[in-house]
Amino acid sequence: MTSPAEQEVLVSARGLEVHFPVRSGGALRRTTGALRAVDGVDLDVYRGETLGLVGESGCGKSTLGNALLRLVPPTGGTVTFDGLDVTAMGRKQLRELRRRAGMVFQDPFASLDPRRTVAQTVSEPLEVHGLHPGRQARAARVRELLELVGLDAGVAARYPHEFSGGQRQRVGIARALAGEPDFLVCDEAIASLDVSVQAQVLNLLRRLQRQLGLTLLFISHDLSAVRHVSDRIAVMYLGRVVEVGPAAAVAAEPQMPYARALLSAVPVPHPELERSRQRIVLRGDVPSPARVPSGCRFRTRCPDVFEPCPDVDPVLQPVGSAPGHLAACHLHGVVGAPVQRAEPGAPVGAGDPAS
Amino acid sequence: MTQLPAPGATPAAPPPAEPLPTTTPARPRWRETLGLLARNPTAAVSATVLVLIVLVAVFDETLAPYGPNEQDPSLQLQPPSRDHPFGTDEFGRDVFSRVILGAGTSLRVGFLSVAFALVVGTLIGLVAGYYGRWVDDTLMRLMDVLFAFPAVLLAIAIVAIRGAGPANAILAIGIVYVPIFARVTRASVLGVREEVYVRASRSVGASDWRLITRHVLPNAAPPIIVQTSVSLAFAVLAEAALSFLGLGPRRPNPSWGLMLADGRGFIEQAWWYAVFPGLAIVVTVLCFNLLGDGLRDVLDPRQRTLMAGGGR
Repeated sequence: MTSPAEQEVLVSARGLEVHFPVRSGGALRRTTGALRAVDGVDLDVYRGETLGLVGESGCGKSTLGNALLRLVPPTGGTVTFDGLDVTAMGRKQLRELRRRAGMVFQDPFASLDPRRTVAQTVSEPLEVHGLHPGRQARAARVRELLELVGLDAGVAARYPHEFSGGQRQRVGIARALAGEPDFLVCDEAIASLDVSVQAQVLNLLRRLQRQLGLTLLFISHDLSAVRHVSDRIAVMYLGRVVEVGPAAAVAAEPQMPYARALLSAVPVPHPELERSRQRIVLRGDVPSPARVPSGCRFRTRCPDVFEPCPDVDPVLQPVGSAPGHLAACHLHGVVGAPVQRAEPGAPVGAGDPAS
Repeated sequence: MTQLPAPGATPAAPPPAEPLPTTTPARPRWRETLGLLARNPTAAVSATVLVLIVLVAVFDETLAPYGPNEQDPSLQLQPPSRDHPFGTDEFGRDVFSRVILGAGTSLRVGFLSVAFALVVGTLIGLVAGYYGRWVDDTLMRLMDVLFAFPAVLLAIAIVAIRGAGPANAILAIGIVYVPIFARVTRASVLGVREEVYVRASRSVGASDWRLITRHVLPNAAPPIIVQTSVSLAFAVLAEAALSFLGLGPRRPNPSWGLMLADGRGFIEQAWWYAVFPGLAIVVTVLCFNLLGDGLRDVLDPRQRTLMAGGGR
């Protein structure tokens, strides 16, 4: 793996925000607040890499994945895909984005239309984008795709309910690959599968990535799986990426207290080491994304909280020894925007520690 | 799937596929539905009877032993006999023939009015449910206004404005049923719209039109199909009611509702005059209802409670 600095950025988010309006009940439906699902994310995904995105439930991982592809409209910040501004794309460009960026969904039982055959599902991208025109050419391409994901081409005429979860997920992957995408978002793609099938699908994704030169954003709460497949890992907390870096560095020496606590929860597959493993147990609950704490959003649960935390919103800054390892934490020097009480958390650019 | 590939092992070939389904080639969904329906005795009998009624309506001229207005003054108000199985009316017309010839009118009005309501109502419900927001609000409030009127009263008002006659009866009954189809469709679409497979299709670039026609409508269809069957029953009934009130087909055309109205005056001397057209209405309406129930069981068991009190 070459160092990130030499690599070409494929997808990039700057200050990305997805705020959902919180409405009061009653007839008027006034907007009373904002649920900040994604709140100022700076993230680069390099071409050809697998970036693992981890974080606990409700931290905005999936929303971020959806926002990068504009499946959820961002309310602030920018996303660029191969140099193009995703947030400003018109109809045609957006369609091309949908071809070049695919998505694999969590629940393979919900993500396939029960009334359409496997062939109809997999060929939909081909029809939409006018690829492989002609009935026979499309059918041939569908067979090719099914074999690519390890399914028998003879299953094309069958309906989803005839398949197991793992097989359905392969169909979902085949659909996502039909348009020959550069970028694939796997949104908890193995979370609802049996453990043995998880390993198969994980290996399938790895094989496909190498074979097709895909760039993968692997969203998961399963840290072992993420560590297994990722070149780099990004840790998310309450709508913000708080640490990102090479997988080995983040896994071995997480620099931000939240990342440390999260990674300390991963069991080690070695009995003696497992026994001596130090677990950091966080106190308290995750604050509501509708009421994000001022300054560092982790300060309400952080074991190492000190003076600047409530007043300065930390930005990602280089930490540790590995190049490209960034964390947003004042323990590595107080860097960030002072809290303005009116408009908290103005996003600051990533590779910009000197502000 | 008992063997677990060692994590980290690079599979040279595609991983061993799980056993594939060994069922016979996939049957389309509608064939499956028909099969289930055939195993539901009530629905199967109802469907058979309805097919017979439709056949009667289609071949009415051939089946009717007498013409609709063939009068025999010597045989006024005769009770059922070998020559006139349903008796005769006050002009000596054969009630049996007129019931057969009236089937066409009733069914035509029923089918056409429901077809109108189905197309318009489904379209409104689809647009309202899919696009939501102010489109939904506007359309559904409009439907609420229509819904607020008692059905037959609304139909009478429409016929009163546009004049009596079969065409206006069809239109009136159709308009009355539009809000029901709009509501059923909208409710169904609201559920389907949020399905992951709809999002998945959008993620590969499918247009709104494609999402609606290929994914949302087919998956939202079951309750609409059930509603169609139930509405046919009510439409036949409504046609009879409008005819009864003199707002449907004109005399002397045979129509079940008209015959019922005319027979009412002779109910004490000639029970057969009103009873046989009435029976025809009852059987047709009952069959549509039972078929609707059967379809609901087969297609959409969850809707059962939702629609239990909703018919009109």
